[in-house]
Amino acid sequence: MIYSAAAVFVVWILFPIWYTLSSSFTKPSEIGARPTPFWPASPTLDNYRLVLGIPTKDQECIPGIDIVNCGAAASNVSVNKLVDTMFNSFIVGAAVVFFTLLISTIAAYSLSRYRFAGSVFFLNFTILSRIVPGLVLVAPIFIFLRVLNLLNTPWALIISYTSFTLPLAIIILKNYFDQISIDLEEAAALDGAGRLQTLKLVILPVAVPGLIATGVLVFLESWSEFFFALVLTDSYTVPALLAGFLSMQTFNWTLLSAATIIAIIPPVLLVMIFQKYIVTALASGTGK
Amino acid sequence: MILKSHRARREESKRSVSNGRFGFYLALPSILVLLALLAIPAVLTIFQSFFIVPPDGVGIGEFTKVDNYLFLFKNEIFWATSLRSIWFALIFIVGSTVIGMAAALLLNEKFVGRMVLRGLLVLPWACPWLIVGIIWKWFADGNIGLLNGVLMRLNLISEYKDFLSDPSWAIWMTAIAATWRQSCLVALLLLAGLQTMPREIWDAASVDGAGIFQRFRHITLPWLRPALTVVTVLNVIYGLMQFDVIFAMTQGGPGSSTTLLSFLIYRQFFIFTNFGIGSALAVALALIALVGGLIAVKTLYRKIEV
Repeated sequence: MIYSAAAVFVVWILFPIWYTLSSSFTKPSEIGARPTPFWPASPTLDNYRLVLGIPTKDQECIPGIDIVNCGAAASNVSVNKLVDTMFNSFIVGAAVVFFTLLISTIAAYSLSRYRFAGSVFFLNFTILSRIVPGLVLVAPIFIFLRVLNLLNTPWALIISYTSFTLPLAIIILKNYFDQISIDLEEAAALDGAGRLQTLKLVILPVAVPGLIATGVLVFLESWSEFFFALVLTDSYTVPALLAGFLSMQTFNWTLLSAATIIAIIPPVLLVMIFQKYIVTALASGTGK
Repeated sequence: MILKSHRARREESKRSVSNGRFGFYLALPSILVLLALLAIPAVLTIFQSFFIVPPDGVGIGEFTKVDNYLFLFKNEIFWATSLRSIWFALIFIVGSTVIGMAAALLLNEKFVGRMVLRGLLVLPWACPWLIVGIIWKWFADGNIGLLNGVLMRLNLISEYKDFLSDPSWAIWMTAIAATWRQSCLVALLLLAGLQTMPREIWDAASVDGAGIFQRFRHITLPWLRPALTVVTVLNVIYGLMQFDVIFAMTQGGPGSSTTLLSFLIYRQFFIFTNFGIGSALAVALALIALVGGLIAVKTLYRKIEV
């Protein structure tokens, strides 16, 4: 009973993604077989080679006959873009993580330990802003960025992504700081440490696991974001590039599947490595 | 006891004036960024929804009172699209919650391979929404998709069916694709809630002779209410705002059978550069989401009575 239920879930989770994985090892000429096979008949790495811009053995294109290589050759410019775009996504993600953690850590610490005029309002505003959709913000942000001449630059994404990563980070980190005993600060104060010193030397080292979990979540959000990347840039990050591939006639499914698999390797690895931290952080971030 | 005194001491130190100023300075950068990137754009969007904004979006344009909204309310496309958005969201919310809850309950039991299944749950969740759309577009494809292959092997269909070209199927397929990812997140969050549930309550109830469904209704469900409320609010937002999956799978088609409000907004802003109407649509969608969120909180949230 339990095992049949488990089997149903395994099928539900794995089948769609399995098809992408198996297609990425399939020769384009073998893709139409019916009923659609579970495994590629003669597995090949060519899709990955093409998508990563590594030359294949027979890359000469005979127009009208060798549709596969001609198609790939015709779209080679954008094919090689995958590696560059992955790099862009990493840079944007790293910058968003850096700026978000830099200002959210001190704000979250403040919300956990101090009270000032409007601090309760600020906390509620932050929680509420987690559910304000990007669709409501996108037009003014788009116009700001155009006036500042920042459209089509990484800054467009770094700035706009901070609008949704910052509230997330503040809420998660505030919950994390709440769990750190105030004894630490009192002991530090007795030793004559200033408030800023205490934060830097006593609290931050204890908060490292929380900072890592938050950083990973922020990076994932940045890596996954598509809408802002679509409207603020010209296919600058991976999801936007893949969306562009979708509409290209010359770009076939086997190539796209290889690109898709490559694109989800970084987030999948991150999630697998940090799974325990992330789920705890997410549960605490949404649970309050 | 100890916890209480910690909290008391924290409250005490929170109140001091000089500490208050220090706290304010720490929060100031975030306050400014949230003002600039959230509060001001949100207010501007509401503001622009009452104007005819020039196509470049700069400047105020002409004040039209509520004409933009009147235009929407008199427009059949707006109503049809709103209903479609709500329908899509309902499939998504119910699907994600039910499947996620089932998965969480299953994973809360002990069985061989439990950790493997738990590990698999994070796979769809690690996929960006757009990639979820790509994966499902080809999985459900009418010529080469594996879904058709599986259905054919099971003798459920005799010919390949093009789900995404069939208007009545397309909305279901896109909603199911989105559910595929969200159900895994729901499962992870509800599982985290289940694992904090003291086993003794459950055991005591089974000693008292409560059946498995009774125990679920009277023990598990009340325990999960707070988590379930949050999860459902998230589902309402993600369901109503869904854009990426639709963009990858159907581009709103065939016809307008998967054109959701999010898609209309995108077109008004970035294809017709009609910022006034687009803003009015965005405000309308935000209001629908607000109402949906409130309904979810009202129906699900109760104070836990133990």
